[in-house]
Amino acid sequence: MYARVMERITDVAIAGVLWGFRIAVVLLVVVGSALTLGGGRHSAESWLSLIVSGAVLGSIYALIALGYTMVYGILRLINFAHGEIFMAGTFGGYFVATALSGIGFLNLNPITSIISVVLMMAGAIVVSVTLALLVERIAYRPLRNAPRLVPLISAIGASFFLQYTFRGFFGPGIYAYPTVGILDAQVPLGIEGFRVKWIDVLVIVSAVVMMAGLFLFVQRTKLGTSIRAVSEDKATAALMGIDVNRAIVMTFAIGAAMAGAAGVLYGLIFRQVYFFTGFVPGIKAFTAAVLGGIGNIPGAMLGGIFLGQVEGVGPTLFLSGLGVPSPNQLRDVIAFTMLVLVLIFRPSGILGERVAQRA
Amino acid sequence: MRNTLRWSAVLTGMLLVLAACQPASSGSPGQSTAESASAAASVDAAAVCAADEAGCVEIPSGEPLHIVFWGVLSGADSTLGEDSKRGVEIAIDDINNTLLGHDIQFSTEDGLCTPEGGNTAAQKLAADTTIAGLIGPSCTDESLGGMQTLYDAGMTTISSSATRAGLTVPDRPAEYAAFLRTAHSDYFQGRMVAEYLYNELGLKKLATVHDGSGYAKALAEVARTHFEELGGTITTGGDQAIAKTDTDMSAVLTAIAADPPDAIFFPVFIAGAGYLTDQAKDTPGLEDALLMSADGTFSPDYIKAAGPAALGHLISSPDTSKFAAGYQDFLAKHKAKYGGDPLSIFHAHAYDAATLVFAALEKVALTDADGTTFIPRTAYREALYASKDVEGLTGPLNCNASGDCGAPILAVYKVTAREVGPPVVWPPEAPIWAPEPDFYTK
Amino acid sequence: MALLDVDGINAFYGNIHALRDVSLSVDDGEIVTLIGANGAGKTTTLNCISGLVRPRSGTVKLAGEDLAKVQPHHIVERGVVQVPEGRRTFARLTVDENLRMGGFTLTSEANLRDGISRAYDMFPRLKERRSQTGGTLSGGEQQMLAIGRALMVSPRVLLLDEPSMGLAPTLVESIFETISSIHAQGTSILLVEQNALMALNVAGRGYVLQSGQIILSDTAANLAANEQVRQAYLGEI
Repeated sequence: MYARVMERITDVAIAGVLWGFRIAVVLLVVVGSALTLGGGRHSAESWLSLIVSGAVLGSIYALIALGYTMVYGILRLINFAHGEIFMAGTFGGYFVATALSGIGFLNLNPITSIISVVLMMAGAIVVSVTLALLVERIAYRPLRNAPRLVPLISAIGASFFLQYTFRGFFGPGIYAYPTVGILDAQVPLGIEGFRVKWIDVLVIVSAVVMMAGLFLFVQRTKLGTSIRAVSEDKATAALMGIDVNRAIVMTFAIGAAMAGAAGVLYGLIFRQVYFFTGFVPGIKAFTAAVLGGIGNIPGAMLGGIFLGQVEGVGPTLFLSGLGVPSPNQLRDVIAFTMLVLVLIFRPSGILGERVAQRA
Repeated sequence: MRNTLRWSAVLTGMLLVLAACQPASSGSPGQSTAESASAAASVDAAAVCAADEAGCVEIPSGEPLHIVFWGVLSGADSTLGEDSKRGVEIAIDDINNTLLGHDIQFSTEDGLCTPEGGNTAAQKLAADTTIAGLIGPSCTDESLGGMQTLYDAGMTTISSSATRAGLTVPDRPAEYAAFLRTAHSDYFQGRMVAEYLYNELGLKKLATVHDGSGYAKALAEVARTHFEELGGTITTGGDQAIAKTDTDMSAVLTAIAADPPDAIFFPVFIAGAGYLTDQAKDTPGLEDALLMSADGTFSPDYIKAAGPAALGHLISSPDTSKFAAGYQDFLAKHKAKYGGDPLSIFHAHAYDAATLVFAALEKVALTDADGTTFIPRTAYREALYASKDVEGLTGPLNCNASGDCGAPILAVYKVTAREVGPPVVWPPEAPIWAPEPDFYTK
Repeated sequence: MALLDVDGINAFYGNIHALRDVSLSVDDGEIVTLIGANGAGKTTTLNCISGLVRPRSGTVKLAGEDLAKVQPHHIVERGVVQVPEGRRTFARLTVDENLRMGGFTLTSEANLRDGISRAYDMFPRLKERRSQTGGTLSGGEQQMLAIGRALMVSPRVLLLDEPSMGLAPTLVESIFETISSIHAQGTSILLVEQNALMALNVAGRGYVLQSGQIILSDTAANLAANEQVRQAYLGEI
């Protein structure tokens, strides 16, 4: 009896704390936003800039998040090495870019620039996919039937191994992408105080195109359907004549290709690449995948875009009105708070019903 | 079971949030314990060790003498630690790998440039009783995290690149007796930046950006405070901060652009400074703002990181042109050993730190009949504080009671087309401005 | 030579000896049933044939070819298809997609369409629900889908694992009718059932599996008349 009562009290207390937390966050967001918007310190143009930069960041997160979510969907494995696959792609693109820049092809004229970007993407995708397949073959496949924690630890090991292998080969220093002139130019919008570069357009457009392509592939083609079938039930898929290993390898390859392409886009915007480049985008993209509902492909896309906006606009919108000094330092805090909120109130993520149903 | 999983996931998330919050660092007042050095020369080793509060490091005959460099050797800022580590390695080469009749065993400990990493590293170091000499750490944050542990273990470290002013002020906390440095204090660096911008260039409005690290935060503050003392103003929203992991700086830059400053000083590390420089040129309202960063970015990597936007960028840093004559030799050795130019600016300071360590060890070491060498720890610390007129690469080294050993020789550099390349050429040929010598004594 | 020949297989789960020297065969055009209690090793036997479980010793041969080194998906290509226990339709794939997965090894789109229309002819209910997901179907519809899916590749040997399990009695009958009609079209069938009476009714021969061992093998009629079988599996005392 006593234990029952105590349990009840504990339950109520926990629920109360969670509700309090929920209300506090909503209040913070609403009051903060109202004060910021009411304060009027930021012009419409600067909001637009923040939204665009959030969209650019979000597109990159989304592309990386797809790799996490697809591998999770098919193997129930969080592929912690995925951030490094992205980093490897960034490096791959870098080497192609410097080679093309070295022979003067990169900025010869707009057409060679476009060809160069395509070649960079191709190089990055080759590097990323090769590496991802090696990791799958060496670090994950032998552990396919081991308890779930074992491949997870192997994934963390693979992540460190790749990071420090790259450090061994290329040193701790920073490599910088050469500037692609046409992408660095501004889109002539004619709005005073608001600038968009062609690279921003390229990132958003290519992310959308790739995600749409992936969605169609998974939904409409036989191979894509077989990936979905394998992620639902490997044994039955094998009984249907589906080569389960091939479907898994294909999943890794697609995820890696997206990460490799994201790597080039990242390099073209942020310019810097070194052995540690994959770490933070990797964690953020993983967060995006969880936000959207891990295992769910549209969820990863949505989670990425959402996280990008939260990071781009969030600190200014929620915090600057409350008088928080230098709110952008708290960008990660906001991003991870969002993760905590989702984990508490909707553990399956924004689009996660299907995952919950399956579990 | 599922509930447990869910809660552990929530906890993990919260930890991530906590990790993302930079801990505020503060120092409490204390007193210095530097006493007059007393090198016990020919006294019986056992008696000396018994008398020394912290005991002795024992190095049996034939065993190597252990020297450790600790600092940031992995992650985003690892060029800083790598650069200093190379300085120490060359210093060890220069004494032919032997000291006090022992071979030198050199090892490193990674402090990650964070307070937590510094603390972990310090605990490992404190547990290793073979360590005779300690050089490091790289970052202010590592010092903040690790000093108490080292102090409690009776150890003493000498840093080549932790520059926060508070680390060597006369009223620093007691445990900072374990800390000396050959690097300059940011008290001078911050003031020099303010004087250059206000007095020399005649700029009136300043904004600063830090990255939450103990180093950047304090240096930005010194610069802001002195700029205001001189008569300048800090713009509205002119005290901004980024996270060390940020790549997209547009929000911060947009916030600064709301009240455009004449100059933005961002004493952050290489990656962040690169992003800020590159993205500032695309921020409406900041086209004409002068951009300046500090010694943490005095590296070819910064130029690579910032790209063409680095042209015209200003960097405050030690003045290599005023280094001692031996510096050119050092650069040649560096090139021969590592096949390239230094990665950052503190290799010479690290070399000098190692020189001080060797000299102090030689001063206090005792050897008994069977060839065992003893280093009394407290006496070693006192010997370091007593270092006077040691010839260093950065100039004469004189340690004072609050732990400053190097003379600050700072200057302002401007990045020109020569450095931007491609290919990137480093370092710049000469600084464009240096304060009058009496600046350091005012 | 039998079409499907299982000869002396031993299978293990960890240290548990699940199958002991199990031998059975299915000739061209036969329905053979494997009956036995829960946990006797019936499903394991089917999984050894499909290649999901590898026997430690003994052989599984299809038309004389040893399947020991053949991957599960290649076994399907060779014409051995299993309808797993509990249907296992893909809950998140539509009926159409489920059928397409059944025909995964078919290389031409025409064959695929052909297979799908055959399935819809056999089970018109499925056609009505073609764009619904597998998870929304009733148990009987799922069983239809599972069978239709397996027939996509026109298998030489169909392995049916407990097709009547969990279905209402009227549905059970219609499932057995379906089995007979599939057989009539020339497909050999190995039928695993707990419902021994129905199974022995449609089958020509049968095996009784108990604790991983074949304890009886005979014609279906003889088994149905066997005292031991009647007591243990036909619910008579």
